[in-house]
Order: sequence, then structure tokens, then C-alpha cells
Amino acid sequence: MTPARRATIEFLLDNLVWLMLIVVLIVFSLAVPRFFQFGIFANIVEQSTFVGVMAIGLAIVIISGNLDLSVESTAALSAMVTGLLFATQGIGLGLTLEPSWLMLPVSLLLAMIVGAIIGFINGFFVVRVGMAAFIVTLASFIWVRGLVVAVSGGRSAQSLAPSIRIIGTADILGIPLLAWISIGFFVLFSVLMAKTPFGRYVTLVGGNREATYRAGIDSDRILWASFIIAGLLAGVAGWLLAIRTSGATANLGAGMLFNAFAAVVIGGISLKGGIGKLPGVYAGVLLLYSIHTAINLMGLPAHYTQMILGGLVLAAVLLDTLKLRLRERLL
Amino acid sequence: MRRIVSTLAGAALAGAAFMSSALAQEKGTIYYMVPTLLDEFQTESVNAIESFLAQVGYETVTLNADNKTDVQQSQMNDTILLDPEAIVIAPVDFNALTPSIERAREAGVPVMIFDRQITSTKVDFTSVAGTVEIGHIAAREIQRLLEEKNGSVSGKVLQVLGDPGDPYTLDIQQGFEERMADHADVEIISLPAMQWEASNAGSIVADQLLANPDIDLIFVHAAHLAVAAVASLEAAGKKPGDLLLVSSNGAPVGLDLIRQGWEQVEVEQPLYAQAAAIAMFADKVVNGEEIAPGTYDVLGLESELTIEEWGPNLKIPGAAITSENVDEPRFWGNLTPPSDPIKPVE
Repeated sequence: MTPARRATIEFLLDNLVWLMLIVVLIVFSLAVPRFFQFGIFANIVEQSTFVGVMAIGLAIVIISGNLDLSVESTAALSAMVTGLLFATQGIGLGLTLEPSWLMLPVSLLLAMIVGAIIGFINGFFVVRVGMAAFIVTLASFIWVRGLVVAVSGGRSAQSLAPSIRIIGTADILGIPLLAWISIGFFVLFSVLMAKTPFGRYVTLVGGNREATYRAGIDSDRILWASFIIAGLLAGVAGWLLAIRTSGATANLGAGMLFNAFAAVVIGGISLKGGIGKLPGVYAGVLLLYSIHTAINLMGLPAHYTQMILGGLVLAAVLLDTLKLRLRERLL
Repeated sequence: MRRIVSTLAGAALAGAAFMSSALAQEKGTIYYMVPTLLDEFQTESVNAIESFLAQVGYETVTLNADNKTDVQQSQMNDTILLDPEAIVIAPVDFNALTPSIERAREAGVPVMIFDRQITSTKVDFTSVAGTVEIGHIAAREIQRLLEEKNGSVSGKVLQVLGDPGDPYTLDIQQGFEERMADHADVEIISLPAMQWEASNAGSIVADQLLANPDIDLIFVHAAHLAVAAVASLEAAGKKPGDLLLVSSNGAPVGLDLIRQGWEQVEVEQPLYAQAAAIAMFADKVVNGEEIAPGTYDVLGLESELTIEEWGPNLKIPGAAITSENVDEPRFWGNLTPPSDPIKPVE
């Protein structure tokens, strides 16, 4: 096989999910009435923001060889803290700061701190105590959602201050600011994972923890950091979600864990750890929300969304297996 | 101001519960099976039922099923073994609880249904506003709004349901659509917000505004979904009143949207009256006394009690909340519990 042909095949295999996305968008544009318009594409990018940001953290933890089931509840807690402090209706305390623009960075910082704390706790039990990440983060998934209900009393906080809401209403070049934020996060963390020692260490630890330990890499620190980053990003996702819905309800974000997992798997991240790239995850998120949007426009019952998404995840895993075999045979 | 009112309301309920705590020990314990604590109606129903039952002499223990039918079945089975005076249940699934209800009644524990009607088995008392009827009221108001806007009952309506696995939202849809069936000039687009999650409702509205820019009215099946719908309208550059908005359940956030001008009608489930009726009839149910059909005054609402195949059924009328009457304290969304003590039916 010539080097040029080998490079082409490798490129296609690495970016299979992007090709799938393009095919799906073309099919929907041709088949679904009123799908093909700029606003719908902008909506898809905007709606994928929350799961997208959440999926970045989840992907990093999975690449490091672990799991984090708590990201959905962590996002809900951050959203509730944001709503509780800065919303003016419902249970919102209507906290104001002068000048008012300060509310934006302060609310973001608080949401990130909330997320990082949950990530720190998860990391502590997994890395220091040696418990299974599945159990630790499953417990967090439950107790953190319980905390959301406890702090809110089941009530909602609504009407965030306009200086915070601006993130949910503004656009740049006709594309919602929320969409730019998710693109920004994917670019930032893709660079972090591909071009920095930290990113390489995460992949190495996920691939073979023992070997990285012998190579003198502090794998515990890398794992713990990956949990904190996942929590922090879930906090950001919750903050964005609160902005998008102008507040928070006790069930905000319910079901997003499944979507985040589906995006990660469709995006080519191996659940065994050590394999995967973040741009693929972004393609996975966009693919999911393209399907959600198409189903919305077609007026199909929502059950079909679940069936299609389930089938898509299965197809993605199957494709990944085929891809590995093809790579072994051809390259 | 609203926070102060809410705090005072909470304090009033807590105070009422405290004042009657001695009385609450007199007649025994009633268990209240709440389906979830993730929505404001259910949360406030716990406060109201605990407070009102305390006023008529019962202690209430509340168990939350987290919207899981199997959990509620287990709670029922456990509670039967504790031999309570009665069980009040707002079922997660309207029919799946039938065997547990039958088991409770066989064990001598009377069962009262709150808010979510069960008709597939006999129960001792039912206090409902009627979810199908909420759909009827919404249809009536939506017809009025469309006529005011378009000169006739015509136009395009986006109906945002809750989770499609929840019979509550399907009943509202049924009631709404059966009353709209006669109006062929109204196109209804129905889409569900999975898991009653607000951002799902927001996404539906954002997509549909692009696909169907001629939508006249959005009807969402819960007030917290209306908030996300409004956020999407705002993001699309809409102003209050540009699109008509109708919601149901009467939660505080829905009433706030009416005050802000975003929402025109909130169809209220009369939570306080429904809860008060449970307390009013508790003695009769616990003592196995006959409940007479007829009209009863429940917190000022004329309510009809009928004897149905499934037992005594008290239907309390829901109400349409508009900008004209939004501040009336009788609406539970204003979180002003009734000040007069609840008295058992003689």
C-alpha cells in the first residue's frame, strides 16, 4: 500500500464520525421539510452546548481509564446554585453585585467551584481510597441529585439577571453565543489533550497505568485531575443550562448523562480507556442533536428518539470494532 | 415581595402544623405517597396535606417514590404492614398501583386517591381536579385567545407535553385535543419534553419557531416548561405578547410569567382544595362511614361528589388564571394557604 493511500484510509477511519454527521445532515436536509436552513443548524450547535461541555469532561475521565456517572447531577447542582443565588423569582435569592457585569464571572466561578468540589470528592474515593469509579460516581449521581432536591425543596428558581442572561440571548455572526462557547471549549480541550503533556499523560494512563507509573508519571495525580476537570466542566454545563432556561428546576438536566455517554461512544472514545480524540466527541454530540432536531421537526413521537439513539450507539460501537479490524488488516 | 409572601406562607403552614401537633397525635398516622419531589405542585402538596391532616387530628408520614412505579409499589406494601389509619396516594402510574391498592384494602387499610385518578379498582375516596378536565379548560381558553387574535378559532398551536410515559400529560392532551377536534382550522403540533426536563421544552420551542414561524400559541403542560419556552422566545428576539402562551398546573413560576406579560393563561389545579378535601373526608374514610353524594364547599369551591364504580369521587373545579385574577390568594401558586381551619365533614 502506498503511503498516500495509507494516509487517506487512516484519515477516513479517524474521522468516520464526521463523515456520518455530514451524511446524516445531507439526508435530513433532503428528507425533512424545513430542516435545511441556517437557523436550524445554529439551533443544533446551540442545543448541543450543554451535553457537549459535559461530554468533554466525561471523555477525559474515560480516556484516563475510568467512568464518571455523576456529571449530570453535578451540572444540576451547579445550575441550582446559580439559580438560587442569582434568579429573582421562585426560590431565587436575587443576589446582585455592582457593577452588574460582575455577576457573570462570579456566577461562573461559583458553578465551576461546585463542580470541581464534586470532582475532587469523586477523585478522592477513586484514587486515594481505591474504590471503583463506577460505584463512587454512581453514588455521587444519586446523592448530588438528592442535594439539588434538598437545597431547592423541589421548587424552582427563575428569571436570572439580564447581565447573566445575555449569554443565552446574544449571538455573534448570527450564531448563538452559547454555540460559540461550546465550540471554544472543544477547541481548548482538544488542544489540551493533543498538544500538552497533561493530555498525553491522560491517554497513557488510560492505556496502561502500570507502564506510566514505571515511567515516572504520577498517574494518581493525573486521574484525580481528570475527575476534577470533569466536575468543573459539568459545573460549566450546569451554569450554561441555567442561563438557557433562565433558572433551575430540581429535574434540570435529567437524561443528559445518557446523551453524554452516547456522544462519547459515538465519537470513538474507547470505554476501555487510552483511545479517543475530543473532536470526534463533538461530532458525536452534533450527530445526536441533529437527530433530536430532525425528530422535533418531523413531529415523530419522542419514543423514536430513544430507539434511534440506542440503535446509533450500537452502530457506533460496531463501527468502532470494524474500524479497528480494518486498521489492523490494512495499515 | 413575593419571597416575603412565600416565606410567610411557609411559616403559616408550619405554624398551623405546629399548633395542631398535639391534635395530630390523637387519631393516628396516615401515609402520603407522593410521586416525586421534583416539581412544585407535588412539593407544595406535601406541605398542604401534612398541615391539613394535622388540623383534623392525624399525623402524616410522606414517602417519595421518585417517579418510579416499583418504588411506590414497595412503599405501599411496606406501609400496609405498619397498619396505618389510611393511605393517601398520588400514583406514579395510574393503573400499575391497582394490585397494591387492593392489597391495602384487603388488609383493612383504606386508600384515598389524591390528584391522579385511578378508576380500575375500588378506592375509599378520590379528590381530583381531573387531568382530562384541565385539558378541557385549556382548550376553552385557547379557543378564546385564538378568536381574539385571529377573529376566529383558527391558527397554529404548538403543544409541548411532558414526558410521554406519564399518563398525567397524556390525559391533558386527550382532554385538550377532544375539545379542539371541532375546530378544523386549528393545526396542533404536539411534541413531548422528555422527562419533563425544561431545556428539552426550550429546544422544541426554538426548533419550531424556525420550522413553523407562523405559530400563534404555545401550550405547555407545566409551568416550569413555560419558563424554558419563554427563554427560547427571548433568545429568538420575541417580546411579551408576540406569541400567546398557555400553561397548566398553576405553579408560582407560571403566575410570575403572567405578571411579566409572557403568559396569558395558566390552568390551575386547585391544590389546596384537593388537599383540604382529603382532610375533610379523612374521618369518614378511616371510620368506614358512608360518604353521601352531593355538592360540598371545599375552600369556597363548589365541588361535586359522586359515587362512581371506583368509589366516592370528589371533583374540584380547576380555574383559568389570567392577568385579571392572578393575585387572588385562592390560587396555590401564590403560596397563601387558607387561614380558616379545615373542618371534617359531619
